[in-house]
Amino acid sequence: MKGMRRKFDRVFFQNLVSRQIRQDYLENLTGFAWLILQPLILLAVYAFVFSTIFKARIPEAGDIGFVPYLAIAFWPWIAFSEAVLRANGSITANAELIGKVAFATEQIPLATVTATFLMHLAGYMAVLVILQFMGTSIHWLYLVLAIPVILLMWVFACSIALFTSAIQVFVRDIAQILPPLMTFWFFTTPILYSASYLPASIQGVAEWNPMAWFVARLRELLLLGEINLGLDALIIVMFILVFSWLSLRFFRRFSGHFEDFL
Amino acid sequence: MDSLVSIKGVTKIYPRVHKSRERLKAFAALLIGRQPAHGATVLSDINLEVVRGQSLGIVGENGAGKSTLLKVLTGVIQPTHGRVMVHANIAAMLELGAGFQPDFSGMDNVRMKASLMGLSNQELEERLDDILAFADIGEYIHEPVKHYSSGMVVRLGFAVITACRPDLLITDEVLAVGDESFQKKCIRWIQQFLERGGTLLLVSHSMYVVQKLCQKAVWIHEGAIKQYGDVFPVTQAYLAWHEKRSAKEKQMQMKATGEGAYYRIEKLMLGGVQADESPEFAMGDDLDIELHIYSPDDRPPVGVVGVVRADGTPVYGMISDNEDIKPLKLSEQHYCFRLRFTEIGLLPGSYNLRGHSMDPEGVRLFDTSEMVFTVSGNTKEVGYIRLPHKWLDQD
Repeated sequence: MKGMRRKFDRVFFQNLVSRQIRQDYLENLTGFAWLILQPLILLAVYAFVFSTIFKARIPEAGDIGFVPYLAIAFWPWIAFSEAVLRANGSITANAELIGKVAFATEQIPLATVTATFLMHLAGYMAVLVILQFMGTSIHWLYLVLAIPVILLMWVFACSIALFTSAIQVFVRDIAQILPPLMTFWFFTTPILYSASYLPASIQGVAEWNPMAWFVARLRELLLLGEINLGLDALIIVMFILVFSWLSLRFFRRFSGHFEDFL
Repeated sequence: MDSLVSIKGVTKIYPRVHKSRERLKAFAALLIGRQPAHGATVLSDINLEVVRGQSLGIVGENGAGKSTLLKVLTGVIQPTHGRVMVHANIAAMLELGAGFQPDFSGMDNVRMKASLMGLSNQELEERLDDILAFADIGEYIHEPVKHYSSGMVVRLGFAVITACRPDLLITDEVLAVGDESFQKKCIRWIQQFLERGGTLLLVSHSMYVVQKLCQKAVWIHEGAIKQYGDVFPVTQAYLAWHEKRSAKEKQMQMKATGEGAYYRIEKLMLGGVQADESPEFAMGDDLDIELHIYSPDDRPPVGVVGVVRADGTPVYGMISDNEDIKPLKLSEQHYCFRLRFTEIGLLPGSYNLRGHSMDPEGVRLFDTSEMVFTVSGNTKEVGYIRLPHKWLDQD
């Protein structure tokens, strides 16, 4: 009854990631430039709409200003959201390979998430440097702590990708449902605004949003130079670990049957 | 004996996947650890054992379940029931170009594929020269694979397989692609692989390849094992079954075209008998042929007579009006061609005699009729036909 469980292969995974990066971002010369330009333009749009039209003011930001406050949270979100959306269709996109070669199929969505994160991490670093030059002081030393936070985000994105990409094989509508869901998630996460703006009734629920936690920590660390890691950090790490374990189990429950449904 | 592959009671039933409701149901079933609703049964209760150093050919008609069996074996799909145990480092060639990304260069794809087959970077570096030499596609290796011919893709794919040095090689009809010389190279490589103690599972429609490479054969028919044993009896039984079936099919086809055809063939006779008898001749016999054609407008039709191998390879054929032959008029609207192939040089084997009817202008072909005959004899000559020859300069 049991098929053979294929092992995760490091070399193959590296190849998958680098293939993905070259395919999606480095195919043409402008690919990498767009990687930074596109979020920059989006950032400019949001900055214009919120700071000029809505006159949004972020009390905690103090003299930091709206744009750096937004930028610090915006890039990690873009990485997260793009990774999840790209990975969603990755199994169906690789149907041909999955139907012909036996390998651990979870490597495909994981490689997509990883490639997207790596590229946007590069963009993030570029943006941090740009912010520094524009006069915002970035707390570079706290990058040591910010990186683990981003790593946790990556694990979180991987887990969601494992769930959705497996479901997508059976229920193709996920591809239509996911983008508006991600947009909803984006606006309910304090990225464009501060968490204190949320109505009290929602704040209790919002505390359970891991993305809100990530974004808040990144802002504190890199912009304000504050370390606020308490029990909540431990809880979130535990949660992400359990969630990722569940997602892998979920994925593997279905992965042996993918070929029947592709 | 050292068993490399052991398949016990394997049944594969594909789930129903066409409607989205069926997919949703299947998803729910799998989520709670059940089997999805059953659709088509592709394999039923297959038991098979392959020991180290054995070479097993898998034969059967299209859709018999051969490829599904290989997919179950390689772990690409899970069997619905039964167990598959593989104790070997497998290299499966279900499709040589599988996993190739058309936009990337051959070299990039080699890296990808090699890692997919479990080769480390260091192993790949060591064997890269061998791979390139085997593929023999020169500077094209740096071009994107989308610019390759299908033959080149196959060569590159096979070259990577050779570098993986597997215990068990599984191939699905891959030798059918690529040019003649490359096919020979592959067969040579597989032979060496077998000599070194490798184990082979081969799916092929070419009985020649199966007989050449395999010791054992298994005949899969409608998802079940019909016959298993030494390669010659199994392949011969399969071929005989196949020929019988296609002869039946052809007869029915002929009937269908025959009645509606304008200049239709009334009968085709060989050695005084008709199609349902399959006459037998010895090498060197004469073949007497009669081709009766009905001509509705009573103009003399053109006839075509030829001989093909059982697999359809033409051996010889000619058209009556090219040789300025007019048919014999038997009665109003009924014509007949009679001819004799003298002292046939056909080598022993099964052949088909084919007759066609054409309009009097020899422009359009109207009807086809075919009958099987065999030529027997003891000879070690090879090929289809004996060419008249003499040896010169001997002691």
